Amino acid sequence: MTDLATPSVLGTLGDSFAWQADALQWPVTTQVGPGLAGVIACTTAVSWIDPSSGLLMYRGVPIERLAGAVTFEEVVRLLITGQIEGDAAHTTQSRLRDGRRLPADVVHLVRSLDAQTHPTLLLRAGVSALGCHELSGDDELSGERHWRELRIVGQVAALVAEVGQHRRSRPPLAVDPTTSLAQGMLQALTDGEPDAEDVALLDLLWVLYADHGLDAPTFTSMIVASCLADPYYNVVAGLSALRGPRLGGATEQVLAQMLPLADEARARQWVGQAVEAGERVAGFGHRVYRMADPRAVVLRRELALAARRHGCPELFAVARAMEQEASRLLAPRGIHVNINFYAAPLFHLLGIEPAMVPCLYAVGRMAGLVARVQEALAQGRLYRPVSRYVGPGLDGATP
Amino acid sequence: MIGATPGSAGVQTYGRGLEGLVAGETAISAIDGVRGHLLVRGHPLEQLVQRSFEEVSHLVLFGALPDADRLRRWSAELERFSEPPAPALAALQRVPGTAHPLALYRTMLTVAACIAPSVEQESDPAWSRPARILSWSASLAAAAIRHLAGQAPVPAASAPPGHAQRFLFQTLGRLPSPEEARAFEVSLVVQVEHGLHAAALAALTVISTGADLGSAVLAGMGALSGIRHGGANQLAFEMLAHLPDVDSARRFAREALARHQRIPGFGHRVYKCPDPRVALLEPHAVALLRARGLEQRHEVYRALRDEVERALGPRGIFANVDSITGLVYHPLGLPPSAFPIPFCLAIQTGWMAHCLEYLPHGAMIEPGAVYVGPVN
Repeated sequence: MTDLATPSVLGTLGDSFAWQADALQWPVTTQVGPGLAGVIACTTAVSWIDPSSGLLMYRGVPIERLAGAVTFEEVVRLLITGQIEGDAAHTTQSRLRDGRRLPADVVHLVRSLDAQTHPTLLLRAGVSALGCHELSGDDELSGERHWRELRIVGQVAALVAEVGQHRRSRPPLAVDPTTSLAQGMLQALTDGEPDAEDVALLDLLWVLYADHGLDAPTFTSMIVASCLADPYYNVVAGLSALRGPRLGGATEQVLAQMLPLADEARARQWVGQAVEAGERVAGFGHRVYRMADPRAVVLRRELALAARRHGCPELFAVARAMEQEASRLLAPRGIHVNINFYAAPLFHLLGIEPAMVPCLYAVGRMAGLVARVQEALAQGRLYRPVSRYVGPGLDGATP
Repeated sequence: MIGATPGSAGVQTYGRGLEGLVAGETAISAIDGVRGHLLVRGHPLEQLVQRSFEEVSHLVLFGALPDADRLRRWSAELERFSEPPAPALAALQRVPGTAHPLALYRTMLTVAACIAPSVEQESDPAWSRPARILSWSASLAAAAIRHLAGQAPVPAASAPPGHAQRFLFQTLGRLPSPEEARAFEVSLVVQVEHGLHAAALAALTVISTGADLGSAVLAGMGALSGIRHGGANQLAFEMLAHLPDVDSARRFAREALARHQRIPGFGHRVYKCPDPRVALLEPHAVALLRARGLEQRHEVYRALRDEVERALGPRGIFANVDSITGLVYHPLGLPPSAFPIPFCLAIQTGWMAHCLEYLPHGAMIEPGAVYVGPVN
């Protein structure tokens, strides 16, 4: 077991996610930085990033082995139960899919609001209203059953589809239990029947977005869960954090920079000028990785394939040229490509408008969120740090 | 309780649930968990209970008690937003009355957030956004509580002046007595701010992503709705309501203590001494209960408290504010499931102040975890 009582050990490992151990003895001593960087908030068995190799593992399985090999529905099961196969696999699938049946009142409520409202706001209102239908004041508030039953993941997916339909002034979709979450989503958000490769691509994007440590939406949900709030309150709180431009808005910024660039030469030139001018290249930089985000590496290959399939290979050429130039200039400063850089053009190829992407990210992240909320409930400790008072003083009071 | 580490950076030792971690610096409040003092912007809480919610919310949000002119303008700003958007009230028709009032209230706020103007559309967002959140919340919460009994919302237009009175009027559908209004206002003032508790941390985590103030408040409410947090005052009162007399209260306490059962309304992560908010609220609770012929409830409460504190006081476990707020809200006529709501209306002031304090320099909040699972 790693010696966790020694600050120097943890201090040198530095960033979030970086630790692995057989067990943890509380209290712990660590180096603490801004934004709670370096703070150990909990133990987890959901996912881990090996700081030495940059390997991201869900329940011990590297994402490269999951990519393309399993569906999102299977990853939901893996993250939440630790297993993909097993007797309950079919039950998991039908719970996820059946969750998509929404009460008519909830659909009416979402549709009564202006379709041009930001989709994450409509989604949040829908989730909140759904909670009023799912739980009564007499229920056990922590709603552990609701987490266990996974319906909530299917419900969020259905609401996202509904928001997409509303934005396109189309009637509510009937739920077909034989369609997967990914297929149903593309039916709602795009025109025509989606082909199997596009469905597989959305599954892959969701698989890669499914969990990534204690980022702000996930940590918010864990704090709320630790107070034993109801599951829908957890999701409302998580979605509130996802609204922030530092998270949900990334895709829009990537596309705004990438799409106007006509060819590789222009892409290199633009990146060079942007870096020179001290501007941010969207889709670069990450709190955790000191190397390319392994999820971006998986998606780079997917973009090459999907761009050719969709008849626009130049999109990949431009993206690749931007990445190479930005990496050349920024890698020496420790800034590397992240998942959003390649996810953004892939969502674009799928025909999904940028404003809807944060909602799709939310569907993927529901898997990790449910898994981590279950851990927070099991660990059963309210999150309550303290702060140091630096305001006006008074004799006899604590400064 | 704050520990020897200067500031928040550097090497720190802390426990499960971030216990003992100094997450940052604040100029908003200091809790002395050993002697039982709460200092808000340099003012002891004991002095602030003499003041109105308007004055104290101004203090918490903007750093100083208002002069007469600022007070008039802040009161007017709160009143300006006392009529929430119609679609938010209409949302009640789309959700069952059996839902928890906090869930109804949350839904109305999420709908209102779809209609609120963006920061760019406002001339002075630092002033008007907190006012809008406080006032919309109060009116919508009143409507949620009335919805439980199948009653229609009461328009703010005919309400008496003052934030606390307006909420009571819109909730009860009648003018509160001066004692009722005063007791309720004191309950808001004592719960207006309480450091970096779980709900405030949730709000800070949300604001750290660059999200809006309303989103941060919604996350705080999520944490507060939990039975370990704001929901505890409902549980504490329901426990009392099952105890018909002093003897049964003592018996219940002894049995629960013998079984090492957690007793709602007792114990606090920071206070290891009597919670100062209890003593400030108690005379008001007694006055309201007496006016309704319900003194018995207070005697039962005292018996339970004495019994629990005698046994657990030496280990630093005392009655906290959640143990007693129900004894103010029950004689006012609020249903127990609505008790967390006034707590929320008050303490969101503190969350917003922490968010505004965090915003200029705050890094995105993202702690780490130690992986203890399999590695294939």
